[in-house]
Amino acid sequence: MVTRSKLPYLLLFPTMTLYGVFFVFPFLYSLFISFSEWHLLTGDMTFVGIQNYRQLAGSHIFKKTIGNTLMYVMTTMPVSIVLGLMYALLIEQTKKAKALYRFVFFIPVVISVAAASLSFSLLYNARHGLINQVMSLVGIQGPNWLNESKSALLALVILGIWQSFGYNVILFIAGIQQLDKEIYEAAAIDGLSPFTRLTRLTLPLLSPVTFFVFVMTTLSSFQVFATVQILTMGGPNNATNMMVFFVWQEAFKFFNTGLATAAATVLFVATMILTLLMVRIVQRKVHYQ
Amino acid sequence: MNQHRLTGWWIHAILMITAILILIPFLWMVSISLSDYGAVFQRFLLIFPTSVSLEGYRQVLENSPFMRWFFNSVFVAGCLTAGQLTLGVLAAYAFARYRFKGSEPLFFFVLCTMMIPPQAILFPLFMVINAFGWVNTYQGVIVPHLASGYAIFVLRQFFLQIPRELDEAARIDGCHGFQVLYHVYLRSAVPAIISVGLIQLVRNWNDYYWTLVVLRDSQKMTLPVGIVAFRDETLVQWVPTMAAATLSVLPVLVIYVLGQRYFVQSHVHSGIK
Repeated sequence: MVTRSKLPYLLLFPTMTLYGVFFVFPFLYSLFISFSEWHLLTGDMTFVGIQNYRQLAGSHIFKKTIGNTLMYVMTTMPVSIVLGLMYALLIEQTKKAKALYRFVFFIPVVISVAAASLSFSLLYNARHGLINQVMSLVGIQGPNWLNESKSALLALVILGIWQSFGYNVILFIAGIQQLDKEIYEAAAIDGLSPFTRLTRLTLPLLSPVTFFVFVMTTLSSFQVFATVQILTMGGPNNATNMMVFFVWQEAFKFFNTGLATAAATVLFVATMILTLLMVRIVQRKVHYQ
Repeated sequence: MNQHRLTGWWIHAILMITAILILIPFLWMVSISLSDYGAVFQRFLLIFPTSVSLEGYRQVLENSPFMRWFFNSVFVAGCLTAGQLTLGVLAAYAFARYRFKGSEPLFFFVLCTMMIPPQAILFPLFMVINAFGWVNTYQGVIVPHLASGYAIFVLRQFFLQIPRELDEAARIDGCHGFQVLYHVYLRSAVPAIISVGLIQLVRNWNDYYWTLVVLRDSQKMTLPVGIVAFRDETLVQWVPTMAAATLSVLPVLVIYVLGQRYFVQSHVHSGIK
């Protein structure tokens, strides 16, 4: 029954006003600016059409940025999901220690990315870092993690996985706990092996959760910023420059407003399309309420 | 039976090793922060300091406005969380209790704002703040993020589980709109409100990217931005840097330890149902 009351509109008014001013409007405003040139000294703006976008498309660094971001997402996301599911299944097998494991696995999620990044920056130190010291114990000369093109992105991926998979563990545990116990009792009576139970029952039944985890992990790893800014500043030689960092750098380091707004628009539209697609599919697959 | 116990051991062994690996970055941070300046990298079993000193902590507290950053963080995270909860309760009540023209597209919009990471509009939002003259102010940090899609979503999920009969009974007793919200919904949703509040508090406390962009004065910074600035100022002196990082993490760990069950509970309610 559709209400005629004005109350819901009143209740939503503050929230929607904020979203309007600080979410919808910024996007339109920056879209507008991305088609103009902003003279910082005089404050004048001239319409320049798609010049900023043309410059962006011609930028080798921006192309590299997109490649790096995809590389980062395509490695961090699957590992984080697989580890999340694996450890959720393992933790669910335990009894008394369950709460303790859940507690420890979730710690990286509550520690600030700033503090974690500072700790990792020393862990990755070529000479004094713990990682290379452990590697040298077994006779391997570790790389200069953050200063070599080949290893810097990997270093950020490892940090990204460390940060995110504990959250996925908790989401999967929540999903497992909601599975119907009776199905498992029936399966046990039918004599299904644990492996068959996992592949034929648990994994298919968990698919809505898996999909939700997939959406959240993809979107959040797509927006990696703080670790890049604190650990590598996009370097060496742009090997770890990624999309959000590129926008930040153009805007706040190089004061290149035109290019920054154009890149921001590309980033936002890409995220928006990705989100809309995923929310649509989630709505169809996962039954809210 | 024996085989069962054996697999049990394997599971514990794997989980224990992983748990230690997860904790290493944190233990490493604490261990370095307690080291002696001269002997930072003379370590016992790689991770333990050979001589313990509180010099790093002394240097943080004396040479940086650490306490100022702490109170800034308390203020910013407190205001944000209070605002997000208040607006979240109002919006969640509207979505859970009423069907009105436009309710579905509006809720879909809220879902989108929950999923689109805020970094995606970093620079556009900054330009709006700049136009308002809010750069380097606390309203610039706080106001744009007062509406939280996550809070609205989780609270709505919780409100939907409250039986409609309670609601109708309250109406027969003569309650209207806001009174029903208070007497029926708010009172039974206390655990959910605490969960969402704690999770948002930690998120707001940890926020890095937006505060970094808005606040410029060292005196105004919050802890996450402050400790990174401190690292750069000390020209990367590891002992005090790790001491600052450790101190900045402690309040969150205390909240997490005390409110542990709320953190997990809330994730059972979010998204999956």
